[in-house]
Amino acid sequence: MIVGITIITVSILVNQITKETFSKNNPGLDAVVGAKGSPLQLILSSIHHIDIPTGNISYQNAKKIIKHPAIKSAIPISLGDNFQNFRIVGTNKSFLKLYKANLNSGTAWSKPMQAVIGHNVSKVTNLNINKFFVGSHGLIDTGDVHAEQPYKVVGVLNKTGTILDNLILTSLDSVWNLHSDVNKGKLEITSLLIKYKNKTSAFTFPRLINKGTNMQAASPSFEISKLLKLTSNAHKIIDYLSVLIISLSLIGVFFTLLNNINERRYDLAILRTLGFSRLKLFSIILSEGMIISILGSTIGLIFGYVVYESMYYLSIVGKSLELGQLNFLNDLFLIWIIVNIIAFITCLVPCIKAYKQNIRSTLLNS
Amino acid sequence: MLKCENISFDIDGHNLFSNINLNLKNQKDLLITGPSGIGKTTLLSILCGLQKPTNGNIIYNDIDLYNLAEYEVDNFRGKNLGIVFQNFNLINSFTVKQNIEIAANAIGTKSSDQYFNLLDRVGLADKSHIKVANLSIGEKQRLAVARAFVGEPQWIFCDEPTSSLDDKNANIIANIIKEESSRCRASLVLITHDSRIQTLINFSKILRLGEES
Repeated sequence: MIVGITIITVSILVNQITKETFSKNNPGLDAVVGAKGSPLQLILSSIHHIDIPTGNISYQNAKKIIKHPAIKSAIPISLGDNFQNFRIVGTNKSFLKLYKANLNSGTAWSKPMQAVIGHNVSKVTNLNINKFFVGSHGLIDTGDVHAEQPYKVVGVLNKTGTILDNLILTSLDSVWNLHSDVNKGKLEITSLLIKYKNKTSAFTFPRLINKGTNMQAASPSFEISKLLKLTSNAHKIIDYLSVLIISLSLIGVFFTLLNNINERRYDLAILRTLGFSRLKLFSIILSEGMIISILGSTIGLIFGYVVYESMYYLSIVGKSLELGQLNFLNDLFLIWIIVNIIAFITCLVPCIKAYKQNIRSTLLNS
Repeated sequence: MLKCENISFDIDGHNLFSNINLNLKNQKDLLITGPSGIGKTTLLSILCGLQKPTNGNIIYNDIDLYNLAEYEVDNFRGKNLGIVFQNFNLINSFTVKQNIEIAANAIGTKSSDQYFNLLDRVGLADKSHIKVANLSIGEKQRLAVARAFVGEPQWIFCDEPTSSLDDKNANIIANIIKEESSRCRASLVLITHDSRIQTLINFSKILRLGEES
C-alpha cells in the first residue's frame, strides 16, 4: 500500500505542478513568432527555456511584425549563450514588465554587457552586483567561453516563482556584440513574444505569418495543451499501475485479516468468555485493519512528498522547470479517503466472520 | 442466589439431561459430579451463559440470564462470573500478565497492584513476563484460576480444575480456589469426577448428574 500511494502521490504532484509551472511561466502571451520548425519546440525554447530554439529570424522582419496593427506588444528575445547552464537572454526592458519582475538590488541594464540576474542564478552561482562573468557558447555549459567580453551584473531580481528566476537578462546589443562575427552585420533574434490587441487575432495572425513569411507563429496555450495531453497518457499508465498496487495491497490486508481471524478463532472465543461482546471484537478487528490501512496510506503519502521534494531539490526535470514548493492537493486527500473507505469495506468481511463466531463450538473444536 | 429451573439440553435430537433444578444461596459452594459424558461441562456452559439450554431458566439474583440480550449476557458474565475451564482456555501467545490484563480490560478494571497481588497469591508473580506456552500444566492451571478472580466475581465456575494434576498441585489449586472464593465472598460451582476434591473443599451442596434426584 505504501508503494502504491507513494507512486500515485508523486504522479499527481508532478502532473499538477508541471501544469502549474507551464501556466505560471506564460505571462499571458498569445503567440511566439520564430524560425520555422516545430511549434512546440519554439514555445518550449522561447517561453519555458527547456528546448533549443528552432533557429533565428531577421530583426528587420521582426520589426515589421511589431508594427502590425493586431499586435499589442511584441518583445524580442535572443538566445545563444549560458552561464553555468543558466540561459542568457538578450531582450529589452519590457521583458521585466511582462513578468512583473522587481529588482531586489541594483538597476536594469543601461549599456551593452550589463546583466540582470534571476533569484536562483544569484543563489546558485553566487553572482552579485558589480561581479563579472563570461558567457559560454550554446545553451549548455561546454566551457567554450566569450572570455574577451565579460558581463557585469548590475541588478538582481526578486524571486518570482517563474522561469525568470533561472534567467540572465541583458540587452539585445550585448548578444549581437558577442555574435557579430557570426551574424556578419545582419541582426537576428530568436523569437518575438507577442500579445494581441484583440483575442480574435488568434485565428488570422498565425495564418498571416505562417503562409506569408519564412517565419512561424505558434500559440503557447495550444502547444502546451497538446504536450500535456501526450504526457497525460504516461501519467494515466502510472496511475493505473498505482491503482493496481493499491488494490493488491488491499486484497493483502483482506486476506491477512481473514487469516488472522482463522488463526485466532480460539483466542477470540476466549475473549468472549471473559466478557468481550461480539460488537467489541468486531471493533477490535476493524481497528486492526484500519490501523494498517491508515498507517500504510499516510506513510505512502509522506513518502510521495519526500520523493517529490527530492526531485525538486535534485532538479531532475532541469533548472528551467521549477517544480514549486510543497502543496497539499485536494486530489491526494481524496485518494487517501477513498483508499481508506475501500479498506473499511474490505475489513468488514473478516469482522463479520469474527462477529458470527460461536464461542462454545470454537472452544470445543479447539 | 443462583437458581436453575427445569434445565434440559438436547443435542442432535438426543436428550443429554433434563429437568435440572437447583438453588444455590450466595457464598455457598456446589459440587456437580457424575460420570464422563453425562453433560457436566455442557451444564457449566449453560450456567455461564455460553450455551443456551433447550428449555429452562437460569436466574442470578432475579436476573433471568437468557432473557438478556446477547451483549448483556457477555457483560454479565464478564462482571459477575469467573470461569476456570478444563483446558484452561488461556491465550498462549500472551504472557502471564497479559492474560490477566486482557481479562481486566474485558470488564474495564485497571489496577496493576491488584493483578500483582493476585499473581503473587497464586505464586506466579515472578513469571508475569513469561508466555503461557512456556508454563507447566500446574502453572497454567494457577493462571487460569487467577484470571477467573480478576473481577472479584460473585460466582466462580471451575471445570475439572484438579483432574490433570498430581496430588501436590491438586492440593495447591484447591486451596487457591477456596481462599480466593472466600476472599471475594463468591459462590463456588465446581464440576469434577476427581474424588480428591471432596476431601479438599467442603461443599454445601452436591449435584450428582446421571442419578435420579
